[in-house]
Amino acid sequence: MRASIILASAIAVATPLAAQPQIPSPSQTAQGDIAVTIYNNNRALIEDKRQLDLPAGRSRQEFRDVSAQIEPATVTLSGRGIGIVEQNFDFDLLTPAALMQKAVGQTVTLVRTNPATGAETRERALILAVNDGVVMQIGDRIEVLRDDGIPARVIFDKVPATLRPRPTLSVTLDADGGGRRPVTLTYLTPGLAWAADYVALFDETSGRMDVQGWITLTNNSGTPYINASTLLVAGAVGNAGNGGEDQYGRGGYPSSPPPPNGMYRAGTESAARERLGDFYLYPLPERTTIADKQTKQVSFLDVHGASAARGYEFRNGWLSTANQPLSVNSVLRFSSSRSAGLGDALPAGTVRVYQRDARGNPQFVGEHRIGHTPMGSDIGLATGQAFDVKVRPIVDNRGTVTFEQWRQTARYRIWRSDGQAEVVDVEQPVGRTFYQTQMRYVVSNASPKPVTVDLVQAGLSWDTRVVEESLKSEKLSADDVRWHVPVPANGETVVTATFYTRY
Amino acid sequence: MALALALGAAVQAQAQAIVTSRGPDQVAVTVYRNPDRGLDPLNLSWLGGYALVSETRRVRLPAGESELRFEAVTSGIVPQSAIVTGLGEAVIEKNRDARLLSPGALLDASLGERVTLRRTSRATGAVRTQDAIVRATANGIVIQTEQGLEALRCSGLAETLLARAVPPGLSAKPTLSVRVRSPQAVERTVTLSYITNNFDWQADYVGDLSADGHTLKLFAWLTLANGDDTGLADAATQAVAGKLNRERIWVPRGEAKPITLNCWPSGTTSDIPQTYDAMDQEGIVVTASRMKAGMAPPPAPPSAPVFEGGVIAQEERLGDVRLYRIPISVTVAARSQKQVALLRQPAVKVDSILRLRTAGGQLDQPLERVLVTRNRPAEGLGLPLPAGRLALFGTRQGHRILLGEGSIDDHTIGEKVEIRVATATGVRARQLPVAETAGDQALTLTNDLAQPQTVEVELPLEAKAVSGGRLVKRDGWMLWRVRVPANGTAQLRYRV
Repeated sequence: MRASIILASAIAVATPLAAQPQIPSPSQTAQGDIAVTIYNNNRALIEDKRQLDLPAGRSRQEFRDVSAQIEPATVTLSGRGIGIVEQNFDFDLLTPAALMQKAVGQTVTLVRTNPATGAETRERALILAVNDGVVMQIGDRIEVLRDDGIPARVIFDKVPATLRPRPTLSVTLDADGGGRRPVTLTYLTPGLAWAADYVALFDETSGRMDVQGWITLTNNSGTPYINASTLLVAGAVGNAGNGGEDQYGRGGYPSSPPPPNGMYRAGTESAARERLGDFYLYPLPERTTIADKQTKQVSFLDVHGASAARGYEFRNGWLSTANQPLSVNSVLRFSSSRSAGLGDALPAGTVRVYQRDARGNPQFVGEHRIGHTPMGSDIGLATGQAFDVKVRPIVDNRGTVTFEQWRQTARYRIWRSDGQAEVVDVEQPVGRTFYQTQMRYVVSNASPKPVTVDLVQAGLSWDTRVVEESLKSEKLSADDVRWHVPVPANGETVVTATFYTRY
Repeated sequence: MALALALGAAVQAQAQAIVTSRGPDQVAVTVYRNPDRGLDPLNLSWLGGYALVSETRRVRLPAGESELRFEAVTSGIVPQSAIVTGLGEAVIEKNRDARLLSPGALLDASLGERVTLRRTSRATGAVRTQDAIVRATANGIVIQTEQGLEALRCSGLAETLLARAVPPGLSAKPTLSVRVRSPQAVERTVTLSYITNNFDWQADYVGDLSADGHTLKLFAWLTLANGDDTGLADAATQAVAGKLNRERIWVPRGEAKPITLNCWPSGTTSDIPQTYDAMDQEGIVVTASRMKAGMAPPPAPPSAPVFEGGVIAQEERLGDVRLYRIPISVTVAARSQKQVALLRQPAVKVDSILRLRTAGGQLDQPLERVLVTRNRPAEGLGLPLPAGRLALFGTRQGHRILLGEGSIDDHTIGEKVEIRVATATGVRARQLPVAETAGDQALTLTNDLAQPQTVEVELPLEAKAVSGGRLVKRDGWMLWRVRVPANGTAQLRYRV
């Protein structure tokens, strides 16, 4: 192996293939001064300033080292004193089959090897047709290539001009004079995406957390970008087919957008970051090479001692009984405001939460995805389920109520402009059956500290009313009511409520 | 040998210094359960849980810019989660490169490059080499030699291409690295922590039921499994009980490309066996598929607890979940399962009852046997019970005999614990709607055992007893709790 390599290099020096155009090795990229702008939705804008040696007048220029997934229709080329005649994106690829197809009507060299002796015989052959096999003429014989199974090399004289090893972008342009000049190539490409990753170290006793934010960008475009100036845009542009949603796409593997929950209240503060239009911009501090199939992380946020708290939330989907107590969600609550929180807008990404164990080592306690979050927002991330805090919803009774009972709960109040109030009964169809459901929620806490559980009963659309309850609820929407249930340490609280329903 | 030389050349070609950390000095691992597995058993060939790995490594950085590569990290690493501390301001960026050295990648990197074409005569064994340039690799390989253009491996000859060096940027495994800049050469202790997939754990309970059926000697294993091909030696090992939220994050796998060799169409009139073509066939698609994990061995039957002393995991609170710490360092080997004692409760009071839930209608079936207890010190428990499986044993002539198997979810202190362990074939329920009155049901329980059996029948809230028993409301159901006499029957008429 070693000998063969040394031998090979000796041959390489001795017999240069001078006739062939020099192709630079992959380390010599054809890319120039490159700027990459990456959006969240698996899309990027590449601007590549190259120095081209142009002859005066019309010439055809090939552009290598562009993204392997380039969207050719988005390519523009600009430069001083040049005019574009046409742009082509050729994908007629050089393959053995294409080579043979293009050789129809031409002669090739055939080298046969005698299987017994290894002796070679050389003949010229005219390719007549390539249809499920190659038919050729050698002298006055018509033969099918390798019909006899004997080894036969086919040697073609040249590469047909239209065949290329890879899809190639070429531009025919008109230059007003010869010489070296800068031109700028811009295009869009999929395969580059980014998202944020947050590391939150939460200290429950002090109610503080340290947050580090990382920009994570991934390159699956099939091409490296050498020494690129990189800008990340917190947002998704274009690609209307995807609804402009944040696809969070990582290398052509889009997943669902971040869940809308997690943000209680959208903030209204502006972060001290560069903005363009609707988007926050995150430029990388220095030029970097984004290799193909690379995941790159650069720090962008480092906050110490932001206030944060644990909360507990439980949502019962409809008026139903659970077979066993169900763990409540353990929610990490914090703010992104300047005064009381992280003091920055948060680009979409995943927040990983850590807490220290008894020995002081950080341990992972769950993660949650956030969408693009304005500065000043109140955030609650359900990082997991509480082992010790549980809710068991139980239907205690279900029965019918009379129309009269139903009607008494169907009233609204009108305030007149003169300050008088009038109570109006809602008109109801007579002679129908209405139902009542008595719910009991057993909220238990096996931990040594008192907790407050935000208990939500959902599924209350279609005119469902709370007529009686052991704890004052608040109505969040037509569908939901919520109780703040205080639960003592190592104890339980029972909440009861009666609902009237039409169905 | 040649490869080593080539690698050396490739490394030299890089501008910045490369510092390689071969492995951790100390490692700690915390294993988390698959949150979506529910009560299914551990699947060793597809572990859906994960782990947090924390390592310390001693590194020496040169002055100026360098790339610090971390070797011997797990292959299931979630690169987005990697945290490197101890380098301070020096870190410029973290990278994870997944371009792998594979036949296809080697060939792709050779496109347009000068390589060596080697032909070996099948008749004489003579080897001939010559220079060639790779012209196309997209769908079959086209090479150019002094004679002209040829397609590789379409001739029926034994021919191959030899590359001269490993192209830069390709590695054997996905590589995690940080780019650092240091004003002077320094030696630092670096902490690397990351989340890795393909780990899982569960509790495996072993219960010995006393002869009277009222006391359970309970023991549990902490069973943890590593499905990764990297082992963690002498690791401080923990497991977390509870359900934590995880997001679906796509991790770019290493890209290993196969070589695709396609030729022009060939047809033949003869029926001569084409030995050379057969050989071509063999080599047409060189697929570099990842090594498949062998069929996982079936889960080990719960083994008998060892002696009463030994190592037992220590439990502590971690936020809203529980952490179990194995008090000694253990080696979590690659593709292996490990068991350590989790808890030992010598006398747990249990009730063994039979359970039926019905909303009326015709049925004739055996009943489920359920072990019922409360997780309190009074019952001999009173400690968190992580989710897992239970194997229930009885004793016959001094030998253990398996009575049933069940699974339990996470249970905290104070909760009622119910474990379905078996179907009692001899205790049956038969229910028939009674024809004369709409909604009336006649339910008959039969017991072929020589001991009386407690049966709990759960009926919908609307159910009303007509005769034979009394219904009480319990947790959203109307309950008929009855003691069926030995070798006897019990009957209830109710209306829904």
